[in-house]
Amino acid sequence: MIKIDNVVKNYANGETEVKALRGVSLNIDRGEFTSIAGPSGSGKTTLLNLIGCIDKLDQGEITIKSETVSSMNKNEKTKFRRKNLGFVFQTYNLIPVLSAYENVAFVLSLLDLSEDEVRERTMTILKEVGLAGMENRKPSKLSGGQQQRVAIARALVKNPEIVLADEPTANLDSGTGEEILKLMREMNEKHGTTFIFSTHDPMVMDYAGRVVMLHDGQIKSDERK
Amino acid sequence: MKFIISLAFKNLTRYKRRTLITAGAIAVGIMMFIMIDSMLAGAEFESVRNLKWYETASVRIYNDGYWENRHQLPLDINVPDAEGITAKLEDAGYTASPRTVFSGDMILNADDFGEDGNIPVTVTAIDPQLDFDIFHFGDTLAAGRFLERGEEAALLGSWLAEDIGAKVGYWITIITRGNGGFYESMDLEVVGIVNCPNPNVNRGLVMMPFDTAGDYLAMDGAATEINIKLSDSADVEAAASDIQKLFNGSGLTALDWKYMAADYLALAEAKRGGTGIILFLIFIIAAVGISNTMLMAIFERIRELGMMRSLGMSDGKIRAAFVVEAAGIGLIGSFIGVILGILVNLFVVNIGFDVGFILRDMDIGYRIQSVMRGVWNVDTIGLAFIAGTVISTIVAFFPTGKALKMDIPACLRHQ
Repeated sequence: MIKIDNVVKNYANGETEVKALRGVSLNIDRGEFTSIAGPSGSGKTTLLNLIGCIDKLDQGEITIKSETVSSMNKNEKTKFRRKNLGFVFQTYNLIPVLSAYENVAFVLSLLDLSEDEVRERTMTILKEVGLAGMENRKPSKLSGGQQQRVAIARALVKNPEIVLADEPTANLDSGTGEEILKLMREMNEKHGTTFIFSTHDPMVMDYAGRVVMLHDGQIKSDERK
Repeated sequence: MKFIISLAFKNLTRYKRRTLITAGAIAVGIMMFIMIDSMLAGAEFESVRNLKWYETASVRIYNDGYWENRHQLPLDINVPDAEGITAKLEDAGYTASPRTVFSGDMILNADDFGEDGNIPVTVTAIDPQLDFDIFHFGDTLAAGRFLERGEEAALLGSWLAEDIGAKVGYWITIITRGNGGFYESMDLEVVGIVNCPNPNVNRGLVMMPFDTAGDYLAMDGAATEINIKLSDSADVEAAASDIQKLFNGSGLTALDWKYMAADYLALAEAKRGGTGIILFLIFIIAAVGISNTMLMAIFERIRELGMMRSLGMSDGKIRAAFVVEAAGIGLIGSFIGVILGILVNLFVVNIGFDVGFILRDMDIGYRIQSVMRGVWNVDTIGLAFIAGTVISTIVAFFPTGKALKMDIPACLRHQ
């Protein structure tokens, strides 16, 4: 479903050029639960950003669902993300003035759905991630784990084919992080959603069905369990 | 759109104090706008009224050659047979009264004033039985009584009387040149002092009976001007034209008050322009305030912006959310500003500001003697409300655009 072909990405850091990705090629199938692993600076987040169509590559090509996203313009990428991609961030990035319900429903407000459908889908997903009864709480009234559950619900509520998670457990204690990983795995199995998440935590890698190890912008290993 | 509006208004509560301070700045700007506009409109309204009531009347008839020589106050360029002209005007349905205006030296004798002295004055000779139908001196008497026909008496403006130390019963001597150039002196008893709302008049008014002046000056029934009163709503230009037709070919010219007060009207126009700049600056300050607030709001939420853009929210919708938020601040500020403006205007309209201490010794162009009052102007209040909201909305555009130029990963990394 996702085909990454010889992708190169360089950053300018002052006067020096940082080679973030040096010819990465990778195929990810529908429904895979893939971890992009590696130490800091290995290019994990850059690769996720490129798959997520929020960054531009310098060379190569990325195809998702037979569409060459790397050659899309800004508006096309926005529409593609809106329809096909869900995101989970390390720092949750919830809107503090909105309730858990509103944070999730926000994504559906970008689609052309009726109010009844928005309500039904939002309540269902909140229940699935274990937040039933907490829908009216603002993020400040939720724990870190609960906030990340809201973020997962937000990523999944529109039934995307791909969810990209950048170090989703990095801000959580190990117990809560494990719960979140279990939840992500559960959602992956239940909805058939492709999950790609970055991490440098071995415990997180253990949960992955496939671990792609990056080092200095190149794939060092690619193991399926 | 419902979500965008809901989010924008919830964001207003995120930093309540900042929202209130910015809205407060807009409110003060709008309050000032309403108050200043009210005071200026009130000053203009009162000035025009006092100009017509105490200086120019609505229309005035002069000899053809008088206007261009008016600063010399010539007696020989006059309206002959003033009584006949007045009667003709009355027959045509107008209320009219003759006046003779001349310059002279007012001699102050030590017997009454404590020391001898003299000052140049402009004397206005009026017909006491007709003049009060045209001008509004009837309710301005501060001391003594009004003039009567045929007497050798004078009325003084209260500021002039105060300046020279005159009181009712004092005698003054006017030395002037009569029609034909001969010297003449008149001893007149001050029988009354008037406190006129028009400071220009109050500062130098010397009045005497028209017939007495006519005898002294050898006017032979002539006047230097015939004043005509029209209703406040009358079209003075059209009326002057109609009156002119009555006297075509007789060497007389009918001028309306706008023509005669062109200097004042030009000054008022210039003041309006200057005031417009002040009002513009007030709104600029409010605009800079809200622009700064929105800039802070946007840069504090850069990561949120990145998240929204990642999830597929278009730049247009993100911009709309911030613009609606700014409009909300503008709306709150404008609402408070209009309420404050109305409350302040209640005071300005009903009580006003006493600026007599300025106007007593300084001519700022307005014909107001002391209290500067405002008027209600619903259009201005509506304009202020709309302008406050619209300007707030417009200025939010630019900082949002700046944030949207950042790429999404940079937004997500933003601390």
